[in-house]
Amino acid sequence: MFSVVIKGNTLAPHLKATSYAVGHKAILAAVNASHEGEEHIVSQDFKPIDAHSMRLINGQLKAVSKSVNAIGQVRYAHTDIKIPSFDAYRRESTKDPKKSSLATDADRKAFTYLMTASFAATSAVFAKSVIRGAVSTMAPSKDVLALAKIEVKLDEIPEGKNLTVKWRGKPLFIRHRSAAEIEKERAVDVSSLRHPEPDDQRVKQDKWLIVIGVCTHLGCVPIANQGDFGGYFCPCHGSHYDASGRIRKGPAPLNLEVPPYEFVGDTVVVG
Amino acid sequence: MSLKFGRLSKSSILGVKTVIYSKLISGGIIGCGIAGLAVALNESVKASDLTLHPPKYPWYHRQGFFNTLDMASVRRGYQVYKQICAACHSMRFVAYRELVNNTHTEEEAKAEAAEILVTDGPDETGKMFQRPGKLSDRFPNPYPNEEAARAANNGAYPPDLSYIVLARHGGEDYVFSLLTGYTDAPAGITVDDGQYFNPYFPGGLISMAQALYNDVVVYDDGTPASASQLAKDVCNFLKWTGEPNYNERMLRVMRIIIYGSAIFLACWYGKRHAWSVLKSRKIMFREKKTVD
Amino acid sequence: MAGFMSTTYNLLFKRTSTTIFTIFVGALLCERTVDYSTQAVFDHINRGKQWKDIKHNYEK
Repeated sequence: MFSVVIKGNTLAPHLKATSYAVGHKAILAAVNASHEGEEHIVSQDFKPIDAHSMRLINGQLKAVSKSVNAIGQVRYAHTDIKIPSFDAYRRESTKDPKKSSLATDADRKAFTYLMTASFAATSAVFAKSVIRGAVSTMAPSKDVLALAKIEVKLDEIPEGKNLTVKWRGKPLFIRHRSAAEIEKERAVDVSSLRHPEPDDQRVKQDKWLIVIGVCTHLGCVPIANQGDFGGYFCPCHGSHYDASGRIRKGPAPLNLEVPPYEFVGDTVVVG
Repeated sequence: MSLKFGRLSKSSILGVKTVIYSKLISGGIIGCGIAGLAVALNESVKASDLTLHPPKYPWYHRQGFFNTLDMASVRRGYQVYKQICAACHSMRFVAYRELVNNTHTEEEAKAEAAEILVTDGPDETGKMFQRPGKLSDRFPNPYPNEEAARAANNGAYPPDLSYIVLARHGGEDYVFSLLTGYTDAPAGITVDDGQYFNPYFPGGLISMAQALYNDVVVYDDGTPASASQLAKDVCNFLKWTGEPNYNERMLRVMRIIIYGSAIFLACWYGKRHAWSVLKSRKIMFREKKTVD
Repeated sequence: MAGFMSTTYNLLFKRTSTTIFTIFVGALLCERTVDYSTQAVFDHINRGKQWKDIKHNYEK
């Protein structure tokens, strides 16, 4: 049991800074300056910080308060209680009691932030793959994609002939142009066209013209090798296209559409 | 505990508890008995004692946690399917394009597809026409419809094999056992014409004749074509058609384990971090003096 | 170790902006390394069994 009494120097005995720090299970007792006994202990290190409060003394006294002419507040010092070891919850750096917490501050924070960051990073990777999976369900499936591409063998098409194949539900014209046709289409004055496109922009190889066989007017299928310009002629409203698939006469506003394609050996892959 | 129940007599609490426990235990025993009886009754209806259960075979894809399918075997299995099984069984959910870069090169797969004739159309004149198969075509059906299949097979319908490994209890073990398990019927079982005895088939009588014998197929990679080798390869092939993304899935499992354990460790640390304040808090009790 | 950790903190985690940056860079690096290393381990486990191990027999 500890009880500590401090006397005010000038105002005593009227004003007493009295405080009690009492061990666990201690019996409360009104202790006055006059009741001091052999239990009265005043530590050598006991120094007032200010007039109203005291600090920890020797690691034993836990609380000090002040009152006027009466018993002050009583708190328990718990020096007789066994405190379990919390070392499992403490970091190595904080186990040294002589080190200030400020010295290990960056160290401790760094580890916690490192864990947070690694959690965030791995979650981001995880989330990315989940979102990609979810979004890719909206992409066309493989069987649709397999149908979206067609391969046409070019060596089966004689010169000057036009082959019609079905591609994504639309007719596709593949025309083997003769040297005379190529010459003719190249010589056309582009500025005189309704939809000005030079011939070399519409073909990848001069010999082959590949266009979608849908009239840009109202969607009929033009007839090959007819019309005033030797290319295509739409029977519905009389649009004339030349051998480069460009609109030359009639109501259609645009040239025949060129699909994406590439040549692989002697075949063409459209799509 | 002793503090909480300080005013109550300990024995009375224990007594109540014992009664509750004994009731729970007896109730549990009765419940289990009823459930067990129900299961037993249900099992007896299945007549499963007439069926031989397949053993677990050491498939390569089962030997390790991250093992893929043996793709060389799958490729041979395609050959077995094409030359033997395809005579009666369709695989209408498998397309030739799926062979590309799994078991065959693109050229080989195109050549395989070109061997079949596909009805396409209509053409400009409105007629259907026949053309050689393309990569986008699916495996051909040997019969135009189920009725034709039944008529050709004594009334039995050869099932579609696309997902057969997933659709049969026992999976590839069952299919392997079935293909290699044909024996003579034991005494007391009459086998009609067009029926064969196979102990692995539920009921024992199957309408499919034994199809795999030694050397009925000549493998293009030179593997000796014993009947069990043929069965193993075709089972691997059927496993692959049922789960075409099996190999990719195994790789994904590996990645999920790595990311999952990293996330788990970080969560575990975060939990400890958040709880350390509460876990290391000191709580002191002062016993109140009771006035008697 | 302690010096490394405090340097890490001061460089990467003291500011929110650098923390976020670290997370994104870490996610990118992590994905790359995990993808690459799991693929390598996977190929090692299944050597001789995958299509890429047998395709040289069939390609011209």
